[in-house]
Amino acid sequence: MSTKLLGERIKRKEDPRLIQGRAHYVDDLKLDGMLYMSFVRSVYAYARIKSIDAAAAKSLPGVLEVITGADIKDQLGLIPCAAGMEGLKIPKHYCLAVDTVRYVGEPVVAIVAKDRYTARDAVDKVEITYDPLTPVTDPESALGKDSPRVHEEFSDNLAFVAKLEAGDWKALEADSTLKIVKQRLINQRLAPASIETRGVIASYSLGEETLTVWSSTQIPHLLKTQLAILTRTDESRVRVIAPEVGGAFGSKLNVYAEEGVACYASHRLGKPVKWIEGRRENLLGTIHGRDQINDLELYVKPDGKVVGLKCNIIADLGAYHQLLTPAIPTLTALMIVGCYNIPNVWVETKGVFTNKMATDAYRGAGRPEATYIIERGMDLVARELNMDPVDVRMKNFPEPKDFPLALPTGVTYDTANYQKTLKKVLKLAHYPTLRKEQERLRKKGKYLGIGLSTYVEICAMGPSSRMPAGGWEFGMVRVEPTGKVTVYSGTSPHGQGEETSFAQITAEGLGIPFDDVTVYHGDTSVVQHGIGTFGSRTTAVGGTAVFRATERIRKKMARLAAHRLGVKPGDLEFRDGKVETSDGSKSMAFGDVVGEAYYARQLPPGVEPGLTEQYVFEPANYTFPFGAHVAVTEVDAETGEIALRNYYAVDDCGRILNPLLVDGQIHGGLAQGIGQALWEELVYDENGQVVTGSLMDYALPKAHQFPWFDTQTTETRTPVNPLGVKGVGEAGTIGSTPAIVNSVVDALQHLGVRHIDMPLKPEKIWKILKTVDGRQ
Amino acid sequence: MKIEGNHKIPAPRDVVWRGLLDPAVLARAVPGCEKLEAQPDGSYRAEMSVGIAAVKGKYHGRIEILDPVPPERYRMKVEGQGTGGFVKGEGVLTLAEQGGETVVSYSGEAQVGGIIANVGQRLLQGAARQIVSRFFEAFAREIAAHAPTAAPGPPVEV
Repeated sequence: MSTKLLGERIKRKEDPRLIQGRAHYVDDLKLDGMLYMSFVRSVYAYARIKSIDAAAAKSLPGVLEVITGADIKDQLGLIPCAAGMEGLKIPKHYCLAVDTVRYVGEPVVAIVAKDRYTARDAVDKVEITYDPLTPVTDPESALGKDSPRVHEEFSDNLAFVAKLEAGDWKALEADSTLKIVKQRLINQRLAPASIETRGVIASYSLGEETLTVWSSTQIPHLLKTQLAILTRTDESRVRVIAPEVGGAFGSKLNVYAEEGVACYASHRLGKPVKWIEGRRENLLGTIHGRDQINDLELYVKPDGKVVGLKCNIIADLGAYHQLLTPAIPTLTALMIVGCYNIPNVWVETKGVFTNKMATDAYRGAGRPEATYIIERGMDLVARELNMDPVDVRMKNFPEPKDFPLALPTGVTYDTANYQKTLKKVLKLAHYPTLRKEQERLRKKGKYLGIGLSTYVEICAMGPSSRMPAGGWEFGMVRVEPTGKVTVYSGTSPHGQGEETSFAQITAEGLGIPFDDVTVYHGDTSVVQHGIGTFGSRTTAVGGTAVFRATERIRKKMARLAAHRLGVKPGDLEFRDGKVETSDGSKSMAFGDVVGEAYYARQLPPGVEPGLTEQYVFEPANYTFPFGAHVAVTEVDAETGEIALRNYYAVDDCGRILNPLLVDGQIHGGLAQGIGQALWEELVYDENGQVVTGSLMDYALPKAHQFPWFDTQTTETRTPVNPLGVKGVGEAGTIGSTPAIVNSVVDALQHLGVRHIDMPLKPEKIWKILKTVDGRQ
Repeated sequence: MKIEGNHKIPAPRDVVWRGLLDPAVLARAVPGCEKLEAQPDGSYRAEMSVGIAAVKGKYHGRIEILDPVPPERYRMKVEGQGTGGFVKGEGVLTLAEQGGETVVSYSGEAQVGGIIANVGQRLLQGAARQIVSRFFEAFAREIAAHAPTAAPGPPVEV
């Protein structure tokens, strides 16, 4: 068999063009007569706009248009929020601020000019007079009765309350044999900070009345629908193209103000309008991630069995909702029990308005918070009961035979073997030896930490019944008359590598060379339908659609070949570029069967000419990948500096189609999760000013800060899709933050340190070391 | 951001007091000050060029002197805006005599917004302290240079 492709470590089709700088991102595209747009953004967190004087900007040679909130108020629709929750307060969110600004970085004025330098210079010439108001910056005091309100149209700053209650809490609270382990955990605000910032070109053709938009987005099809609504353009005349996208991590799973204003400006001027986001704009005005306060209580039996989980979640949503803002913290509640079947669960989630940029989906989106809560919690339980963190976890894992496992949180985990991944990672890390080394070093005054995290996450989003805008995905396969094969996917990968894995699926299915398959995505005029790339769904949902469409091609081709060869379609196999009987006695070249479909001279009755098949896959459930990580850290007793010595990860993402792609996703995910644990923090001061507005101040990790990641996998397939794949895009980020924090707390445990909030910056550790030393 | 400190000026208190209210003296002493004009309502209009970290810009704004108690203290309110940001501040200046010299103490709160806050916050406290010290050094030189004309006289009405 020469055509075995699935499971092989195959280099990415995408890489040659990316590595050689030959790919085209939005900013590489130049259209005839193209104009450039820039934005004047609010420097206040909360203020009334008293006046806007744009005369000097308008008089600058080359400036063609100055657009304010008053101009677009009745011309453009509102920025959409797709989260449908009971009682959710949805504030009016205009593309440019109307009368009031509510966060630093909010777009107030748009300027369109002949070139980007003029557009940028004109920004400095706009004089806006503000009447500052007292900003709301602390989500907890924002809930107080006398707090100023972010939106005067609402009676308070509480955007929503979501409650989840299961089990018998009366009995639990009456049980005096239970220990209650309590901890407040802060999950700080982060910036997704993709290398390619956002960017858009809108081109409205006044003659054809068509709107074409190139946007650095994860969701071209959803964006097409939303921009049609926003700009009041007939959707049949709107086309959205996501060219090469240089990273997104959830931040481009959105509909942004700048996209709307670019469409408006292009329509008014009849010329293409380009906007490319600057790095400072990216840190201020692209969605942020995380930002939760979690008050956790675990009810534990003396033997370490956790029987109850209570958590109050305060989620800082920022001033306005972006596409999924309020939905993200509800995913935290959904996954809060982690790998443990805790029968009694009580979670209250409060979404709070503050004068900040909106939070929304950032790699993991609500699940890293859940994993952090439960995995820090399990370590606290271990400590309280003086047990090994491994034993507490083993004690609380369900058995592999318990799956599918319906949980009190309302989800059903598909398949798992948590014991297996944990045992494997402990072996990989030489756990008992590490513990001995830790003991030895402590005697020398050196602090070695060993941190564990056993996570489960929710992927392959998802069944449409539980998604705000459909959870299906579209796939189409067309065999061209020359025998080359084109695959179309409604997903929109941007670095994940599905041009490679989808080609593997189809080439193996049709028994043809991998290089004969080309995958297209990201253009709404080329791919009929689609949802997009997010929630680790691209391969599990989108790949399955491609797999099924490929099966339909096989079925039709088998029928055509059988008709010519005088055999039954079921007798035929697709291998080595041929369609033949298993013994090879009757055989047709793949290309000849394709010829039958296109020449169409001797088709079997009822068979249409051509060779194009499509499939829309609707998954019956999410998938639940899992894994076990071990982080080994050394804390410098003098400086508080943390050295990450080793990182061991065993991840199970179901069936692996291409180990190279899985490695890439795990490595990148780990970097982002470890980044949150150790360095990253998007900080607003008490006046609502972002004080980490550049990459000098927002500490993104760099490659040299990481050790080699020792990664391995186990494969527990899912029955949710025929490929058996679960998804891996977010796993690394989800599993790693608690492993790091558990490790550092473990290093300092003997000094009486119980918990440290992220990021674990050296100054924070140094201050803690000073206090604990003082006590001794 | 809190700004606090004190500086000793080798001159009598009422000389220092008058100097601190003299637009011409202040314009020369304030680092980067390009214009300082007394307005009919008693406030001052200022134009300054300031550079903090990589952020350099021109600012224009208003300075108000409130609740003056000559020659002991006054309250000062500053509001300015410019390329990409704003500065707001309020503070109290007190003048105390100490052996023929004057100790000027100041204490106030300043708030910055926009690009300076976004990218310069780390350096702001240090930069503010430096601007204030440079002001008092220059101010002391101004007072010394004009010492003959700054002979004790009646307190100035504001």
